[in-house]
Parts: sequence; structure tokens; C-alpha cells
Amino acid sequence: MKAFDYVEPSTLAEAVAALAKGGGRERIVALAGGQDLLSEMQDHLVEPGTVVSLNRIDGLAHVRSDAGGLSVGARASLAEVARDEGVRTGWTALAEAAASVGSPQIRSQATVGGNLCQRPRCIYYRNEHALCLKKGGQECFAEGGLNHANAILGGGPSFIVHPSDLAPALVALDATVRITGPEGGRVEVLEGLFTLPSEGEVTRETSLEPGELITSVEVPAPAAGVRSTYLKFQERASFDFALSSVALALGVVEGRINHARICLGGVAPVPWRCERTEQLLVGEAPGEELFARAALDALEEAEPLEHNGYKVPLTQGLLRKALRSLT
Amino acid sequence: MASPRRDGPVWKPRAENQLLAHDLPRVDGPLKVSGRARYSHDVRLPGMLYGRLVCCPVPCAEVAVDLAGALKLPGVEAAVVVHEGTTRTVGQVVAAVAARTVEEAEDGARAVRLSIEELPWAVDREQALAPQAPAVTRRGNRRERGEDGDAEAVARALAESHAVVEATYSLPVQHHVCLETHGCVCDYRGGDEATIYASTQATFGIARDAARVLDIPARNVRTIVHHMGGGFGSKFSLDIHGRVACMLSKECSRPVHLLVDRSTEFHTGGNRSGSRQHLRGGVSAEGELTALEAEAEMFGGVGGGAVARMPYIYSVGRVHARRASVHTHTDSSRAMRAPGHPQASFAMESLVDELATAGGFDQVEFRKRNLADPVYHRQLDRVALEIGWPGHPHRSAPGDAEGIEAVGIGFGVSVWGGGGSADACECEVRIERDGGVTSSMGSQDLGTGVRTYLAAIVAEELGLELSAVEARLGDNRLPKANASGGSVTTGSAAPAIKDAAHEARVAFAEHLAEVLGVDTGSVTFDGGVVRAGKETLSWSAACETLPDEGLRARGVWREHLQASGVHGAQAARVRVDLETGRVRVEKMVCVQDQGLPLNRLALRSQINGGMIQALSYALLEERLIDPDLGLLLSDNLEDYKIAGSLEIPELVAIIDDDDERAAPIGMAEAVVIPGAAAIANAIHNACGVRLRHLPLTPTKVLEGLAARARGEEVR
Ligand SMILES: Cc1cc2nc3c(=O)[nH]c(=O)nc-3n(C[C@H](O)[C@H](O)[C@H](O)COP(=O)(O)OP(=O)(O)OC[C@H]3O[C@@H](n4cnc5c(N)ncnc54)[C@H](O)[C@@H]3O)c2cc1C
Repeated sequence: MKAFDYVEPSTLAEAVAALAKGGGRERIVALAGGQDLLSEMQDHLVEPGTVVSLNRIDGLAHVRSDAGGLSVGARASLAEVARDEGVRTGWTALAEAAASVGSPQIRSQATVGGNLCQRPRCIYYRNEHALCLKKGGQECFAEGGLNHANAILGGGPSFIVHPSDLAPALVALDATVRITGPEGGRVEVLEGLFTLPSEGEVTRETSLEPGELITSVEVPAPAAGVRSTYLKFQERASFDFALSSVALALGVVEGRINHARICLGGVAPVPWRCERTEQLLVGEAPGEELFARAALDALEEAEPLEHNGYKVPLTQGLLRKALRSLT
Repeated sequence: MASPRRDGPVWKPRAENQLLAHDLPRVDGPLKVSGRARYSHDVRLPGMLYGRLVCCPVPCAEVAVDLAGALKLPGVEAAVVVHEGTTRTVGQVVAAVAARTVEEAEDGARAVRLSIEELPWAVDREQALAPQAPAVTRRGNRRERGEDGDAEAVARALAESHAVVEATYSLPVQHHVCLETHGCVCDYRGGDEATIYASTQATFGIARDAARVLDIPARNVRTIVHHMGGGFGSKFSLDIHGRVACMLSKECSRPVHLLVDRSTEFHTGGNRSGSRQHLRGGVSAEGELTALEAEAEMFGGVGGGAVARMPYIYSVGRVHARRASVHTHTDSSRAMRAPGHPQASFAMESLVDELATAGGFDQVEFRKRNLADPVYHRQLDRVALEIGWPGHPHRSAPGDAEGIEAVGIGFGVSVWGGGGSADACECEVRIERDGGVTSSMGSQDLGTGVRTYLAAIVAEELGLELSAVEARLGDNRLPKANASGGSVTTGSAAPAIKDAAHEARVAFAEHLAEVLGVDTGSVTFDGGVVRAGKETLSWSAACETLPDEGLRARGVWREHLQASGVHGAQAARVRVDLETGRVRVEKMVCVQDQGLPLNRLALRSQINGGMIQALSYALLEERLIDPDLGLLLSDNLEDYKIAGSLEIPELVAIIDDDDERAAPIGMAEAVVIPGAAAIANAIHNACGVRLRHLPLTPTKVLEGLAARARGEEVR
């Protein structure tokens, strides 16, 4: 790891000011739990001149829920989110997603903000010597290379998949994020925060500007009868990222589906919302035939690469399982 | 009265032992689980520097090294060129630096300038066998390694067979993934002496190599291996890592700690060779294996690779087999737990399974019919019973892949030698006046439990508690021992320990007889007391009669105290999720023979470890090299996946007590052999998807299910 300066501001304003000094050749980055940032620095994927710790700032670590909804501070640990009784009952998909991350040690250190802003796990991106698109190079090596873990939806020119487990769950729960930056604060629908490589800058995964920080995630209370779940498929049962995942929020009233949110993880460069499939479900009576149709519909646009065609049936299977489990 | 000495040592019948043939928790267990065991990695010496290696990032290149930038950095005390000119493997070591901290050493290593002129490379089979492929070795990229049998006889026998199966099976390169990486601490401070704290399987073997690099007499090199974090066959020599530690230490006359990081370990620590085997096998209408045509390619990088000879264990009427090495610009394969055997087992057991299915035979009965040695019959029956085969619905045809889940069972058998090496080990037992007992042998404990039986055999002989004997090993100043590999350690060491224990007991009995004026034959050692004639002495009172220097006895290897030749059978039960391709191994069973079971707990641990390593190989492990970039992408434990605790099924490790041989035999390699085949066979048994290429990922299961639904076969 390259040597760097380290600052520990005690207020958000100071942190934002410190981060805003970055730009140009000097990279200044925020540090939360460090579960991603430190390995990126160890592998020389980022070599910041200054690291700004968020860990001395008060008021960023809450997990608070009431009838109005859920608010989670950016620095709340994944372990707390997974453990919180309110989250587990009201926003089950979020609790399940948090519990599925890494290992107990990682969850106790990793934060919600860091999880949403973590960088891709693509084996080419993570190798210092492969100067890929994501690292400012000219080529996405995964497109024609060892791409079994890469994108089947929304890919191009980069074919990474978004690695976060929390993101699809939160999108399915209609979450918004509070953001603070040099220009003040703003609130964004979480889904809109993530950018496809074809839309935004290919070296970034979110629309956050330098100096901007997520301060909290706000999730509305689920409507009556709506339940949610997060199903993650990983090759190894612990310490592994999703090859595919399904976050589902579903409401059933009088034998008919009245609310559906589907967001896929591990298959696209962003958490992948399936709006058309949601509409297909609403108004219908749950059953295997409907689930099979929904599964086909959700993956209809999939364009697998050479080694990841299996993700289509896999994700279809996961979606069917998720639908079955909530009806 | 005949002297007991002349009777010579014999192992007691199992039932008469107090310690041996029982469950003995390993004596170094508390040290290891509490973090107090000092591994080579943990050695810290005054003035010690940390070494880091510089590896060439492309597989094949002309490389020139410039150390100047590194030597200018703060903390960097030494830098050396290890290799200039043509490199031949991905990540080859070309230079190294030593600095006061690990961080400074890492910065130093990055500051070494390499001028690299890339040369064309071949890192996989396709590249190596392409018409214009660059030559990896002077003798080409494909080298025939032998041919046995009569091809025409096989062709005739196949033509007459009731059913024939032809298929290609492949296995990827597997890494050893020792928890402790390769390397050592070289303590050389000028002069003509040095101490090497190494993570090695060859405490004695490495001294000479270190002496050569340090240019000092070999007798002046002391090697210490008190605790060692795994070798699995990858640590038989001082190796490039240890040699460079010595070079750096020599360069600055200071101790150098050089145990490599995980990425370097993956690049340079060796591997189990991959293989690709094309088999054609025939079966008669009665269920006999009639013929086998086998062509094996071994992928050992710049090394030769290994695949055990065909037909593996089974009796086959006619066999014609050829083997060839296919070389690539990658790290050489090394020995790895049962070299070549899991590869041969996977191909042969899969083929046997396919032939049984083709003929509509029960998998267990079919195997027994084609295995000559009756030991396999009883072992297969035992694992079959334990895994639930008798009531299983798919015994001669696989399940139909309907519904959401399917359950299947598969089998495999193993073989190993496990005898000792003549005169390779000696042991010294000392009994002190204060009652202390030590049992010493320079050998190393790779985690197999040598330290425990080094004490236990002596404690048993002297009628003491296990904790009353201190085992000393891992030091080339102690009595000689061989390298630990090929499961030879127990057969080599245990006889010498037993002999020393016996000598000590007889000498102590003779001494007490003389002091107390009783018959030597009346002196017995049992339950921590000594009986001599009519007298009963506590152990410490008996020891007080010894002279100041206590008592010393030396033991040597005795052929009759070991045996050789083990079998083994395993079964696996899997649950396949037909929607996602997830394979969950629910249960594995192993029945293993090993002659006298010295320590039943350690044996069951070895059996469990073998099944786990095989499961990991079967389901997860795969080295990933991008052929165009020439980069090893799986140089970390995120992408090179090994099984974690959540993958571990119910494991049933059964010591085959029907094996009545009275002497111990090494068995730890046998138990890693058939697991992968058993799992692949179980997947087929569950849902009719035959996976012929490890690892058995959900990807391949899903592809197989899709092909099956289309009525095709995936090759
Ligand atoms: C072995 C291993 C396994 C893992 N498995 C999983 C898994 O299964 N699923 C999964 O989702 N993740 C997994 N992760 C990733 C890990 O969960 C996330 O990286 C973690 O949640 C990041 O949180 P952190 O607080 O440690 O972030 P940090 O590492 O501190 O930061 C990560 C990034 O986010 C930025 N950042 C941090 N906080 C904020 C903020 N408030 N506003 C704006 N930017 C911010 C940082 O600047 C940095 O770029 C794994 C990581 C490891 C090492």
C-alpha cells in the first residue's frame, strides 16, 4: 500500500470540506469500515494521497424504525442492520441481504454507505496488471475473457456486475438516500444513484460527485400486506459475492398480487429493476404458471457472454423461488 | 532368565493398549488453538529484516533488473537479482529486497525496475498445442511419457463388448493452499554458522541447500521446524523462497524473514497438475470390464505433471494406456497429497459409473465385481450401508430430474502404499532422575500428529500418561528423520520410536533389577508405577535410583514394526437444486484401513481432512489464467475458492477395524483420492447429469440439465 495522509474530522462539514480538496491528480477518499477501500489500496487499484475517515463523526450510525419508515445511517454496520428486530420484521429483504454479506468479521466492520459505494469485484478490475476500462484503460477484458461472473444485462462497454447485496434489497424497498456535498444536501431515489457504464463515467458506478457523501438511507414503511425477501446465489456459501440475486417485495390482497418490486443483483452493472415484470404480476393470482412467466419475462433482455449463459436459468430459478416463498 | 532385550519390540494387540489405538487429542492442540504455537512465520529476531520477492508479471520474457531505485528507499537494506534473461513461468521470481518493515520491503520490491521484453507464451493447452506455439521446453510442448498394453487387443475387445463408453474427463490445476505460505527465516550474521526457521516438510533436507547459498559448511546449518502450517507435498526443498532468504541474509549479514504473501504463493508455491483424459471402456453383458483405451495429458506447467496408471485399481480385461505431458509457461506442478491419484480416480471412477449405468447394473455390485481385492468388497458394503444405498431408489439408473430437488449417491475407492523407508529415522528416549521423559526425533509435524505419537508410543511403553512424555521434533540437531511425504512418515518413524521406547524400558528394568536385587523379568511399568519383585515404586521414586545423567536409549527402524498397502472406500450423498444447479453435499462416508491405528482421533481427522479437501477440489477450486493477458487472476482466496465451514457435510470417518495387521501404515494420501469422483457420480445418480470436468459448478449442472431437457448429452 502506498503511504498516505490520514485525517479524522469530527463533523460532516469538515469531512466534506476535506474531500472536496481532491480532484486533479490528488486523490482524496472517504474511509468507512475499510472492507473494500483497504483491499483496493493494498492491491494498488487506488493510491490516494489522503484518506478521510468518517469514523469520528457523530450521528451517522443509527438504525431507527417507526410507523413512518426506516432510517439507517451511512455508517451503521451490516451486522447491526442484520440484527435489528425492526428491520427483520418490517424490511426483511434488507436484513437478509445484510446477513448474506461476506463473513461475521466483515459484517461487523462493513458499513451501509460503504456497501453501496464499493467498487466492482471483476477479476480483471481487481488485478493491478490488467489495465481495463474500469481502471482508465481501453478495453473490457471480461467481454471476451473469463466472464463467468460478469453481466448478462445492461453490459457494455464495461461488463462488471454491481457487487452490493444491500443495493438490490434497498431498491426493491423503494429506498432513497440522503447525500451531503460541497453544494449542500440532496435526496435521491437510490435506484437513480447507480449509473450504467454506457450512461455515466465508465470508471464510476454512481452519480456521486467528488466530495459527496451518503449520510443515510431512508426506507418507507411497507404497505399493509407487503413482505420482502432477498435470495442470493453464491458459489461458496460464505465469503462470496452473488453470482445472481433476487430482491423481491410483494403484496397479496384477497388472493391477488397488489404490489411487486423486483430488483436483481449480480447480473448487471447496476442493481437491475424489472418494472415490466412487476406490472405483469400485479392483479394476478399467484401460482407456478405465473411465476414461470414472470421469470421468463424478467430475463427476456439478457444477452449472455461466452461463459455466463447459466445466469439466465439461475436467475429465473431464483425469482421463482422468491415468488413462491412470499405467496 | 532370558533378557527381554533379545525378544525385540512388538506392537501389543490393540485391546491391550492404554493410549495407542485410542483417541488421543494432539499434544500441541492447546498451543495451536490459543495462538501460542510459534510457526516460522512468527519468528522475530533482533535486527531482523523482512524480505519481499519481485515477480515478473508476464509468463515469458527477456528481463533485465535494476535495483537502484529500491536501494535508495528508506528502510531497504539489501536487494538482489535472482534471475535475469528469459523467464519461463507466470510470476517467476526475478529479484528480491529486504527492509526493516514489511511495508518498506513491499515498497522496495515495487521500486525494482524491470525492463521486460515480452516473448510469445503458452499458458493453456490450446496455446501449447497450437501449430506456431512457442517452445516451452527444449524438447517441445508435448512429451510422451509412456505407453502400456496392446492397442489392437483393446480394439478387438471393445468391438466385442456389450456396451462401450467413450468420454473425455478433465481436472483443473489445484493449489495446495497451505495456511502457512512458503519461505523461512534465515538467521545468518556473518561467520560460518546459520539457523534456518523453515516451513518445510524436510527439516534435514534443506540444510545442505542453505549452506550452498550461504557458502558455509552444511554441518553448521541448523534447521528448526517447531510448528508448520501445512505442506501437502509442496515443501520438500529450500525452494526459491528459502534460497532468496539466504541470499538476502548473506548480502547484509542480518536475519531475514521471507515468507511470501498469498499472491506470490499462488504464483510460485506449486500445484497439483491438471489433466485431460480420454477414455474408452467396454463392459460385458455380465458386468465385467472388458477393455480400456486410455490417453492422458498431464498439465504440470514447466514440470511433468502426474496421473496414476490406468486402469486405476479396477481389473480390466485388456488395457492400452498412454500418457503425455503438455507443457505451459506456468509454475511447475509438485507433489500434492497422493500425486496423480485423484486425477486417475476421477476419470476411472466416472467411467466405471458410466459403464455400470450403460449396462443397467447396481453401482456397488458392479464395482465389487470388478475389484479383485476382497478388502474393497467389505469396505464398499460398509460405506454403502452407512450412506443409505440399500434403500436408495436409483441404484442402477439415475433419477429423472423432475421437480425442484434431486438426491443422489456416488462411490469411489482408493489405494496407497504407506510403508516406511528403511533406516531413515532414529529416535532417542531419555529418562531423567527427576522423572522427566523426552522422546526426540528431528522429524517435522505437518499437522498429521507425529508429535503426539512421538510421545504416546513412549508413554504406552513406560505405562505413563501421555502428558508425562515430552516430544521433541523439528530440529536437525535431533536424531535423523526423513522428509514427510508419500505417507511414509508413520511407517518410517513409528518403528524407530517404538524401538527406542522398548530399549529404554528394558534398560530401565535391568537397572532397577540390579539396584533392587530382583529379576529383570519381574519389573513392569504400568499406570504410572513400577513394580519390581514384591516392591511397588512410584515413577519418580524409580527414576531417583538413576545416575545423575539419567538413562538414554536409542531406537532404529525395524521392518516388522510397520506394514504397507492400504485400500479405502468412500461414498457421497448430494442434493441438487434443479432450479439453480446448487450441489449440496449432505454426507460423505469413508472406510479406511491402516493396520494398527496409532491414534484413532488423529486418523479420523486425517480422513475428514481428506474428504474436505476432495470436496473443495470437486466443487470449487480452479486456477484461472487469462490466456491473452498471461495473468494469473485467481491469485487470492476470493477467486481461488476453497471450501468453508458452510460447505462441510456430515462426515463419517470409519477406521476399518477388520484390518487386523498388527503394525501401523501411513494412510493420509489414500483418503483424498476418491471424494471428487464420488461427488460427480452422486450428481449423476441424482439427476442424470454427467459432469466430466471439475470443478462441478452450478454453471455446469445447469448446462447439463438444459442439455438433458433438450435430449442431448454435454461432452
Ligand atoms: C472477503 C470479502 C467478502 C465480501 N463479501 C461481500 C458480499 O458478499 N456482499 C457485499 O455486498 N459485499 C461484500 N464485501 C464487500 C463489503 O461488504 C463492502 O465492501 C463493505 O460493505 C464496504 O463497507 P465499508 O464500510 O467497509 O466501506 P469502505 O471500504 O470504507 O469504503 C468503500 C467505498 O465506499 C466509499 N464510501 C464509504 N462510505 C461512504 C459514504 N458514506 N458515502 C460515500 N462513499 C462512501 C469509500 O470511499 C470507498 O470508496 C466483501 C468484502 C470482502 C473483503
